[in-house]
Amino acid sequence: MKRAKVNRVLNKIPLHAITILILIIWIVPTLGLLITSFRPVSSINTSGWWTFLSAPEGDTPRFTLDNYIDSLVGYRGNHTYREDCAAGTQALDLHCNLSDLLNPRGMGRAFLNSLLVTLPAVVLPILFAAFAGYAFAWLDFKGRYLLFAILVGLQVVPLQMTLVPILRIYAKLGLNGTFLGVWLFHTGFGMPYAIYLMRNFLGSLPKDLFESAYLDGASHWTAFRKLAIPLAMPAIASLTIFQFLWVWNDLLVALVFLGGTKPVMTYQISNMVTSLGAGWQLLTAAAFLSMLLPMIIFFALQRFFVRGMLAGAVKG
Amino acid sequence: MAKPRVSAVMKQGKLTPWLYLLPALIVMSFFIVYPMINTVALSFQNKDSTASAATTCRDTGPCWGIFENYRYALTAELDTTSLQSTWQSFWTSSYGNTLKWIAFMVSGTVILGLLIAVLVDRVKYEPLAKAIIFMPMAISFVGAGVIWKFMYSFGTGQVQIGLLNAIITGLGFDPVPFLSTVGLNTFMLIVVGVWMWTGFCMTVLSSALKSVPGELLEAARIDGASEIQVFFRIMLPIISPTVVVVITTMVINVLKLFDIVYVMTGGNFNTQVIANRMYTEMYKNFQTGRGTAIAVILILAIVPFIFMNIKRFMAQEAMR
Amino acid sequence: MKKQTLVILSVLMVFAFVLAACGPTATEPTEEMVETEEVVTSEIDCMGAQAGDEINMLYQWSGGEEENLNNILRPFVEACGVVINPESTRDQALLDTRVQAGTPPDITFWNVTQLTQYQDSLIPMTDLGVHEENYADYWKSIGTVDGVWLGLPVKADPKTLVWYSPAEFSAAGYDVPTTWDELDALVEQMVADGVVPWSLGMESGDATGWTGTDFIQDIMLVQQGPEYVMGIIDGTIPYNDPGVKAAWETYGKWAMSDMYTVGGAAGTVSIGFNDAILKVFSTPPEAMMVKQSGFAGGTVLETYADLVFGEGYGFFGVPGAQGLQGGSDWMMSFSDSDAVKALVAYLSSNLGGETWAQVGFDLTPNMGGASAYTDPALLKKAEILANATGFTPDIGDSIPGGFGSAEFAGITEYVNGGDLDSILDNLAEVQAEALAQ
Repeated sequence: MKRAKVNRVLNKIPLHAITILILIIWIVPTLGLLITSFRPVSSINTSGWWTFLSAPEGDTPRFTLDNYIDSLVGYRGNHTYREDCAAGTQALDLHCNLSDLLNPRGMGRAFLNSLLVTLPAVVLPILFAAFAGYAFAWLDFKGRYLLFAILVGLQVVPLQMTLVPILRIYAKLGLNGTFLGVWLFHTGFGMPYAIYLMRNFLGSLPKDLFESAYLDGASHWTAFRKLAIPLAMPAIASLTIFQFLWVWNDLLVALVFLGGTKPVMTYQISNMVTSLGAGWQLLTAAAFLSMLLPMIIFFALQRFFVRGMLAGAVKG
Repeated sequence: MAKPRVSAVMKQGKLTPWLYLLPALIVMSFFIVYPMINTVALSFQNKDSTASAATTCRDTGPCWGIFENYRYALTAELDTTSLQSTWQSFWTSSYGNTLKWIAFMVSGTVILGLLIAVLVDRVKYEPLAKAIIFMPMAISFVGAGVIWKFMYSFGTGQVQIGLLNAIITGLGFDPVPFLSTVGLNTFMLIVVGVWMWTGFCMTVLSSALKSVPGELLEAARIDGASEIQVFFRIMLPIISPTVVVVITTMVINVLKLFDIVYVMTGGNFNTQVIANRMYTEMYKNFQTGRGTAIAVILILAIVPFIFMNIKRFMAQEAMR
Repeated sequence: MKKQTLVILSVLMVFAFVLAACGPTATEPTEEMVETEEVVTSEIDCMGAQAGDEINMLYQWSGGEEENLNNILRPFVEACGVVINPESTRDQALLDTRVQAGTPPDITFWNVTQLTQYQDSLIPMTDLGVHEENYADYWKSIGTVDGVWLGLPVKADPKTLVWYSPAEFSAAGYDVPTTWDELDALVEQMVADGVVPWSLGMESGDATGWTGTDFIQDIMLVQQGPEYVMGIIDGTIPYNDPGVKAAWETYGKWAMSDMYTVGGAAGTVSIGFNDAILKVFSTPPEAMMVKQSGFAGGTVLETYADLVFGEGYGFFGVPGAQGLQGGSDWMMSFSDSDAVKALVAYLSSNLGGETWAQVGFDLTPNMGGASAYTDPALLKKAEILANATGFTPDIGDSIPGGFGSAEFAGITEYVNGGDLDSILDNLAEVQAEALAQ
């Protein structure tokens, strides 16, 4: 008995070793960015980020929160926010107190705009795709193969090709610069992939499940609501994560259909760097700030990636 | 072969499927199908869309009439003086590079994604591990572009701010200009792509792995199967539809991917890929006709994968 | 479980809706009414614009650059009460999309190539109340397409400058050269003394090569003159002309050898242009000189904030250049509303020129601001600009279509060891094709 236990532990060591090795290699670049975001700009350009523990010359500090502070308030000058406030030379729209967190040029307000753009643009396509996916998987109708083929093909249409024709129509419909316009666009554009994934997942569910439901007198609508959707939660969770990420990190669509007067986070971030690349140390901090919500969503949805969702359903 | 039927048990109205499909169809026709038709139409015109493409023919060369933009898209990068030069220039053209990307990035992300999904399935710190692999996707290319500068940076002074070159010089060799060395650079860019997208494959494959019933795996292990056998004989066949989906989706993503190349090398030093070339023609050279022709070629490139998917679709239904 | 998630999501959505609705949505740069220095607002003619009129503006500037623009526009905004809706992007795709879809911004500050590209949609400057007298003829002619003056040059950044460390020069006993031969001799002297004269890095992502093509154009300004360069731009001189080849070879001699430049050919091709600037001012310096645009001063100060202009860092004009090459930003308008007219009038007036110069947002082609600079570096550049007999925009920026990127690819190939004649022949073809349409 003891040998079996020891064996099992020993068997696990290679598993852990390989896994941890992969994780370390994977995290190194991200770690580099994280460390860089805490370094003052003069150190960034002159020494490698892995040297961050050795003290630099002069009185430049080893670490600083300035990159984060500057990105949060949307600082635009040549020094740092704290230096300017200390010297009294801050820009006219900064007041050197907490209200600067809501500065239109900062990340605070842009966060809300990004949220407002993203949430409906995630819910709508998944909703429509769930319906369509079920239809492709479990309903019989003429033209399913052709339609499905077109669907797969539509995923390749490049984004840039759709901008001008859609913008023209939006201008006529008055949807230009509205949130509704952006939501509809993201919904439309995200559909092919969403349907593709949903159809595949729903189609791989066991036939017996649905047969016994139909035999019990359930309509398609009931089967869809009570069986298909709950069982498809892992797929829905994946889709939510990806669609959220895609819309959250998008810049071009927001800029074309919403405009710069309702800035989203990606827009603010892109504005932190001048044409010549000055200020890019702010990007390092901004990238992490922007990454927080998607990662929270990722963690929150992890509980849908649990084995055995099907087990109870088959037996019951 | 006879078309497989869906379960005959359930009666359904003729209208039912279309009701389920309607919202999706409306939205997609408007936002994707209509622009796509527009794109195809533009690909037969000149750069201002004011006349047919045939008018852009030059006297000094071959002319394909209304397909002139396609002639440019397909042959402009090739050196057609001899068979050998055509072959060699193909491999440094956007087509050759895209093929390399498809081959290496798709296999890289899918294999790694699968491997990692299987590995972390069995460790207690699974959510954390998955988060680490997934994080590059969340960072988006704004941040990623900066990160990889710190990995590949090439310095000529004493100080290297790029990690790879720091290791190389630490070992006593000369630093390598990764992004400007033809041949090597495409692979360095592919590494960035794999680093970013493996999280995607891992997430989807992991959700598929979770739906493999636990009892099946336990039974197999009790019967004495080794882990490798369990993986290849039980897990893989069950999740194979999802693997096909992931491969297809990754091929599509690689075909559309242009920001890595755009931000890091701009397609210079023979790193050009189709999607970046389309972007360059449209927005740097202001050649709408050529840009849309390249886009159409891109769309057509997916056709073989459509066939593969339909076949799977039909096989899956036949098995039910 | 599922219900909870839905509830949380809906609450978040409602929350976001409410907050977004309550907060102001526009990002007007000058919302507050702030007292500034004495502004003679009576000098600003609002051309009938009413307070509250809006101008939608699109430009490439961001960060500190946007601050500068806001400071320049402040007197105008305060005097006329016009509301500015700014958008900032460097993505050409956005501007093209907006114009093609029929929803362009009212004004855009963009590159000179766009004047030709959008010429059918732009309103002539002369219809917008521009003060012609403040602009030299060569500026007007660059901004004129098919006889119509379509673009107002608002910002100029001469590139024909060589940056160096005066402290290092005097320590080594070098004098600033005033003729090209003196520069050549100085380079040879530096090599003999065992230091590296040039820092020629040209890596820049998808625009790698531009510092090289800039330098070659400056060499052409020395060897041939501004009319020659304009001839290339309008196509009368093919790119494989012997004069062009001579310039490339002069550059190549320096760029491909590690005696003359840091890292030799490999260094030229892979050192970033910002890093290349910094190499002249590090301790110890890796090179003595870098030929670069005006922005280099800012780059130096960002990393070496303690240096003083004129001592730790400085520049001299490329000796022997018979004109200046430079980057320029142009204002072009798709709308002829009163507010736009007022803006054009303001920017082209003496007050506009002075304000631009005082803010120090590079040089202003508006002669009204010629003596109002406060920054010593800008003053010096303004002098060089004032004495120029011609101003040539960048060849790559001015020839439409793929010429610019072909030029970059060509020079990178050349430095990597490619055959110069075939490269130049190819570029001549691209030039011909681009200009033929």
